[in-house]
Amino acid sequence: MTRLATRGVPPGPIPARAGIGLRSVHHDALLEERPDVGFIEAHTENYFHDGGAAVRALERARSNYPLSLHGVGLGLGSADGVDRAHLERVRAAIRRFEPALVSEHACWGHAGGEYFNDLLPLPATEEAARLLAQQVSEAQDFLGVQLLIENVSAYVAFEHATLSEWEFLGDVVARSGCALLLDVNNIFVSAQNLGLDAHAYISGLPPACVREIHVAGHERNAGVLIDSHGTQVCDEVWELYRLAIARFGPQPTLVEWDNNIPALATLVAESRRAQILLDQRHGLAA
Amino acid sequence: MASLRELQRSFAAALRDPAVACAVLPPANLAIYRNNARAAFLAALELTFPVVRRRVGDDYFRQLAAHFRERAPSRSGDLHWAGRDFAAFLDDYLGDGDYAWLADLARIEWSRAECSVAVALPALSATALARFAAQDFEHLVFGLQPALKLHSSSYPVITVWLANQTENAPPVDQSLGCEFGMVLPRADHTEVRPINERLFLFLSALQSALPLGDAMTRAALEVEALTGALEFIFSEGLVSSLTLKESPPTTS
Repeated sequence: MTRLATRGVPPGPIPARAGIGLRSVHHDALLEERPDVGFIEAHTENYFHDGGAAVRALERARSNYPLSLHGVGLGLGSADGVDRAHLERVRAAIRRFEPALVSEHACWGHAGGEYFNDLLPLPATEEAARLLAQQVSEAQDFLGVQLLIENVSAYVAFEHATLSEWEFLGDVVARSGCALLLDVNNIFVSAQNLGLDAHAYISGLPPACVREIHVAGHERNAGVLIDSHGTQVCDEVWELYRLAIARFGPQPTLVEWDNNIPALATLVAESRRAQILLDQRHGLAA
Repeated sequence: MASLRELQRSFAAALRDPAVACAVLPPANLAIYRNNARAAFLAALELTFPVVRRRVGDDYFRQLAAHFRERAPSRSGDLHWAGRDFAAFLDDYLGDGDYAWLADLARIEWSRAECSVAVALPALSATALARFAAQDFEHLVFGLQPALKLHSSSYPVITVWLANQTENAPPVDQSLGCEFGMVLPRADHTEVRPINERLFLFLSALQSALPLGDAMTRAALEVEALTGALEFIFSEGLVSSLTLKESPPTTS
């Protein structure tokens, strides 16, 4: 395994700029066109292997851009525990690609030995916050990095929840020392589906806890908003994004687009919409 | 109030069976998670077994995937390896019927999945043989590329795979009979190619670390045919190491 630092590529911090997700259909175009984006984000599980075209493409792209590794498979809120082998593969990917940010989700993913390979919602209870914080803390110790934990979109509410979503996340941050990856689209989707107040959600989070922001498109299906990542970001989500960077300051921002993936130029253009808002915020801050 | 573990167990049970209750609101929206889990598993299989899907059609492939998931649900947060036992499942599910060949086709595609993420070691050229005396050749052990996969089937599945790289390919005549093939990683793709039975036996013997002389015997390879076989394996970049098998210690 080649470590990037040995080839003279510094890990590099991620600037408070807009980035794009690295998807296999864009590997060649990204390497040839080298668009002016602030960083790239890759799904950690897609780069668990020792060889192959995807790993080689990420190594090359990593030489041109700061990297954020975004995991989807640890299920850190699973009451049955965290898969040690999976965690070891995440650690190997971190050592290989030297990302500036490493993130996962505030969710669970398996029970009774079966994995559902989805970001399943946790009840906002003290018990769930304690367990998630404990497993995030243990993962951080094992991986040797601070994790950014992302809020997930929800389609169901739990009857016995005792905390608000934002109180729950704030508690996890306080207990574990992690930071947050704030997905503004997920706030919008959950707020619409479950009758939450999206503005209260953003204003209720601790102001210094957010280190990265996601925005994405969603779809409406039979009256329910689905976090599909397959369309452009809607105006309401951009408005929430303005609120978020006003509260948390300009942060590295990713436009997620995982289904119906458009041409690279379209994805870059969408990320520029975030960049314009970041630039406006930077201007206000200057 | 249920513990978190109990809640997740009941949520999981409700994902498996819509008739199971779970303390969430609205309960109907559990179907979204149920569909997500099913779709993610199906997508992983579709990505790994595109030719099997083409041959059986989308509807039947979905049925196969659903039955396979019941028997072998995901055991990892990484779905890349969800299809590991799919060929064995097809063996069992399809039995000796008209579609029994699909299991061997799935084996080809699983080999492709493994090859596509394997490390390719630097290949030796035939000039590497010059380091050894001619009389030692029969004791040479050939290290082949670890990603190389060899296949034998009673059915013409290599032909089927090659013929189905586009949608709507015509069916392959199953009376073509048994075939041998290999799957190996290339710089930017994974290659599937037919080989003859003798080469299959020769490569299989080398892959199991038999020295060259024994591999020739196993494959009934005459000395006259050896040059061609060696040219093939070196020119295809299949050899990554050459070592002399140590003679067993003699006792007096």
